[in-house]
Amino acid sequence: MILHIDMDAFFASIEQAVNPRLKGKPLIIGSRAGKMRTVVCAASYEAKALGIHSGMQSRYAFNICPNLEFVAADQAKYIWTSEQIFRLLEGFGFALNYASVDEFQMDIRDYPEPFKLAREIQEQIYANFNITASVGIAKNCPLAKLASKINKPKGVAIINDANLKEVLSLAPLTKACGMAGKTGQTLMAQGLKTCWDIYLNLPGFFGADENPGKFEEPSEDEISRRPKSISHSYTLPNALGNPIVIGAWIRVLSEMVGERLRRKNLTARTVHLWLNMPDKGDFLAQKTFAMPTNDSYEIYRKSLKLMAGMPKKCHKIRALGVTVSYLECQDYLPLLIEERRREALIRAVDGINARFGDSSIFPAQVILTRK
Amino acid sequence: MNHNSFNPKARWDRFEPQAQGFNPDGLAERIEVLAYFKNSRIYPKTFFWNDREYNIEAITYNWQERLGQALINYFSVISSGQPYQISFNNSTFRWQVDKIIQ
Repeated sequence: MILHIDMDAFFASIEQAVNPRLKGKPLIIGSRAGKMRTVVCAASYEAKALGIHSGMQSRYAFNICPNLEFVAADQAKYIWTSEQIFRLLEGFGFALNYASVDEFQMDIRDYPEPFKLAREIQEQIYANFNITASVGIAKNCPLAKLASKINKPKGVAIINDANLKEVLSLAPLTKACGMAGKTGQTLMAQGLKTCWDIYLNLPGFFGADENPGKFEEPSEDEISRRPKSISHSYTLPNALGNPIVIGAWIRVLSEMVGERLRRKNLTARTVHLWLNMPDKGDFLAQKTFAMPTNDSYEIYRKSLKLMAGMPKKCHKIRALGVTVSYLECQDYLPLLIEERRREALIRAVDGINARFGDSSIFPAQVILTRK
Repeated sequence: MNHNSFNPKARWDRFEPQAQGFNPDGLAERIEVLAYFKNSRIYPKTFFWNDREYNIEAITYNWQERLGQALINYFSVISSGQPYQISFNNSTFRWQVDKIIQ
């Protein structure tokens, strides 16, 4: 039996707890770049009631509700709260899994009173953080997640064999996990309307009684635990045409990717670059290099080489991303004296940032992104 | 903890540019604080800022963030009906007012 704990409008609820003036008001959370040039990262239930939802451009949200409250996202606050909720849930003594920053799955096996347990979890979360959660109970993760959405907010719902058909028939297809976007639209075009239709036509989707591997302890096998890729992307406040500033942003993302690689003692052979141009769409390029690296500057230089493959005309860039893949363990020692000096420098910089905080010391070029 | 499926430490806003000029969201001004410590938690009671005393009527939320080796304790507090965000750096023992919450 799985308990799926889904926080209700997580970011917005935290901000309403921080600032009681926002309670009961339509509120959206967006980027610090500016309230009219961002997308809705999270919306309070009062905003959702007006048709405002996550992913919507904020200017459309303000068209719907000119008195909408706006708060710039504060990731530290949300991450800390998420970690504390995880710790609180660990105290119940069941196997626990992060599903996302605001969703947790608990394997309660054959605990006799799941409904009572769900209520207790809700009460403890509210008592500690002044925010609410909805809980879904079912025999597997997809059904438990669906159940958590049925009685939102502050709801508890159970899907069992007795009510399976009834609940799935009433739930629109888009409520199922992964069906809110194009996949859902494609299936709806084929005549599938409800979750019960998915159940009948895609038996594997809701059908598994077990949760294979979901709550197993992480494998000790180092290779299987190694990430497949490491990526950072960023959406700029305004579309930029200056290649020097775009280069500086690529440097920032390369630094972030490189730092994560070194922290995991990994190197990468393949570098991917993604640029989004408002007028031309996406530019994607990748190349695998002979020598693996975890030097941020090398990743940056390789990204610039990929950028050189863009169409000649310089376009404005709105979003960009750097990804590395083909990851390997760093198991070689540099032989050349210049390589050794470079590695010592990188280690020193990482040490300073680890002690005094990220970006305490950074390449001068990064300053261009802060103007 | 099974963090394989999601890593909450992944941050995307570390290099967010800061706003220029007077910014009520980015004060970072040193303050003096009277606080008591109980059950391993900090409860600020009063703070002194620009020669004025602000009595804290309520702590609405608190959270932490690690910046390097320093642990920053953040508090959103209400004084005379106005919410403020203040923080305590356990490495430098510095209290500061971070912002006036609008």
